[in-house]
Amino acid sequence: MSGVAGHPMRPPGEAENRLAGGPVLPPQQAKTRLAGGPVLEQPVLDPALAPPFPKAALPVLRNPQLRKNVAHAIDVIQAKRARLVAEKTDWQALRASASRIKDEALQNLGAYLEQFEERCTAAGGTVHWAADAADARRIILELLREEKAGEVIKIKTMTSAEIQLNPYLEAAGIRTFETDLAEIILQLGEGEPSHIVVPALHVNRSQVREIFARRMGIENLSDEPEALTAAARNYLRQKFLSVPTAISGANFLIAETGSVVVVESEGNGRMCLTLPRTLITLAGIEKVLPRFQDLEVMLQLLARSATGERMNPYTSLWTGVTPGDGPQKFHVVLLDNGRSSILAGKTERQTLRCIRCAACMNSCPVYRQTGGHAYGSVYPGPIGAILTPQLEQMRHAQSLPYASSLCGACYEVCPVKINIPEVLLELRSQVVNQERRQAGRIFDPMYVGLRVANVIFSRAWLFHMAQWMGRIGLRLFTGKDGWIHSLPSVGAKWTETRDLRGLPRQTFHGWWEKNREQGLGNREQKNRD
Amino acid sequence: MSAISSREAVLGRIRAATRNSATTAEQAAGAYAMLPREYVRRGSMSAEALLKRMAERLREYDAEVVECGPEELGATIAAQLQSSGRHIFVAPPGVPSAWLVPAAWQIHGFEWNIDHGMSAGEIERAEGVVTASFCGVAESGTIVLHHSETEGRRVITLLPDWHLCVLRASQIVETLPEYFDRCKKPPALVTWISGPSATADIEMTRIKGVHGPRFLHVILVNDQGLRN
Repeated sequence: MSGVAGHPMRPPGEAENRLAGGPVLPPQQAKTRLAGGPVLEQPVLDPALAPPFPKAALPVLRNPQLRKNVAHAIDVIQAKRARLVAEKTDWQALRASASRIKDEALQNLGAYLEQFEERCTAAGGTVHWAADAADARRIILELLREEKAGEVIKIKTMTSAEIQLNPYLEAAGIRTFETDLAEIILQLGEGEPSHIVVPALHVNRSQVREIFARRMGIENLSDEPEALTAAARNYLRQKFLSVPTAISGANFLIAETGSVVVVESEGNGRMCLTLPRTLITLAGIEKVLPRFQDLEVMLQLLARSATGERMNPYTSLWTGVTPGDGPQKFHVVLLDNGRSSILAGKTERQTLRCIRCAACMNSCPVYRQTGGHAYGSVYPGPIGAILTPQLEQMRHAQSLPYASSLCGACYEVCPVKINIPEVLLELRSQVVNQERRQAGRIFDPMYVGLRVANVIFSRAWLFHMAQWMGRIGLRLFTGKDGWIHSLPSVGAKWTETRDLRGLPRQTFHGWWEKNREQGLGNREQKNRD
Repeated sequence: MSAISSREAVLGRIRAATRNSATTAEQAAGAYAMLPREYVRRGSMSAEALLKRMAERLREYDAEVVECGPEELGATIAAQLQSSGRHIFVAPPGVPSAWLVPAAWQIHGFEWNIDHGMSAGEIERAEGVVTASFCGVAESGTIVLHHSETEGRRVITLLPDWHLCVLRASQIVETLPEYFDRCKKPPALVTWISGPSATADIEMTRIKGVHGPRFLHVILVNDQGLRN
């Protein structure tokens, strides 16, 4: 393995760059051309390397086709979700129970995890604990080496993307085969996920056709979704039947029984959970539920929130190893990777209730415009805006808590009642405190500006003078239409993405001074009538 | 980090982050019992309406549904197999012999494989599978398998492209919590099936049948003498 300890897949140059605190460059400024589309900058989903949100959002904001793809997909899910949630008379009671069940699991997390470990082990499974991403990658690689695995089939797991498992395994000579349709599209097309439930929603059918035709070597492939889905089925069938090792994530762990639950639609999950000899499940420590019965709440909420179905086609539960049925070797890797520090925060803890349904991003007006890549993380949207910086222990992704208008739509739809705006505000204050403590901040233009504003706003005569100077100064930049389209220096940060209304010739204060007498006269007149 | 120290490190950080937490899950039982459960836990539909709703919801998922009386089950299974246009079938070892309709197999040239630990390759050859089920949840049109001797190992309900599943009216509940009430103790294996395998990953167009069976046929057995 080459590279820096803890981040083997990252070239050393970038790591140094990061440590020096300089501007972080994406690994490669790779550009890919998707069929029929413009050249796209390859998105960077490593929070340590990704550009800040406003910058990362630009490629989508400038690409009308991409924005159309994103808007179409979330409109479809939103409409279905709204219809099915409306038919549940007990939706709010389910949300209330779900949030309390998750809180209970989190409050006694140590006890429930130990119970899970004990029961899973008793049922023939092996439980491993991973303190961080590097730890988890190392454990999984060792397990695969024991199996002498050259290939591994995978069910879609966000947690594996979080720890950047695939590039690590590929670098160690193990080929990974994603089996979820969207993940195949991304893996073969060398793209990045932009949504946690429908990861390839930004890719349209002609782009999928191009990727499949090229990578699967199929001539005359139609761009009908039926044909494309059939191509994926054929492509994977032999892999399912022949690769003896699989990696999955987990939607839920059940402490009471030591069982694991995976929720899916296509059946690729069932294939990976049933056919191989050895199964490795990677699960965040927050996935644990106290009891089997808790699923009666969670399963009612999850599919409705995620895909707008009463129930997803397939949900699988298994407990350790069952003789004669399914994998005869089973490992669970319990991943912390920053989660225990989120657990410690009073306001922050609720972040860990998340069941990854993506309803928050589907309802988010910001996500709708920017798509998922702008968030520079495998977790996009409102949940990503709070989860990513916290998983990074506030060392990266500090722009994300600002990637929100605080409208609260995400909180309203969240099936486990995570008050995302509340956590966003908490994180914003942490970011500000962090910046304040940084050396050199005293000369930062924004902080200088705020200090100057503080002085000006507290003295009327200074305020009037500043207004007068501003009017004269800005007149130079105001167009004939009364709008300011571009400003120099710091002002450009605003005008890069939006126009600014030119200042009026007269302030309200000035107008009031002139018209006050007349105005008062009118009112007296009115009162007399 | 070594395996043991990772475990201690993670659990140590968790304990530090959760003050006043229970040491064992048993100690947390009191707090757990206090959790609110105000959601609907009992259905209110009549048995007739329940059967109808189950059929409706299954059809919404593009599953084929036929109803029959208990005495017609063998004939109904035979008719389903015949109209499927398939010939090689697999079934779990526990299904009643009455389902197998031996004469019909001979006449129509069907090949019948009973799963006594068949290999994946052998199961892959089969074009269809016939199983019983544990429970049906009408509200969501969900069929629950516990993979008993009559419901089959997980793999036999997965590889064949055509799944014929027998569900009795007495096994149907209205809501998901009622299914959980029917589990005397938590099962080790469960598969909840709601329609044939599907995806909407390409432009949100729903496509039936990706890796799991593309065709789900359900025989609803009216074993309670319900009027239609």
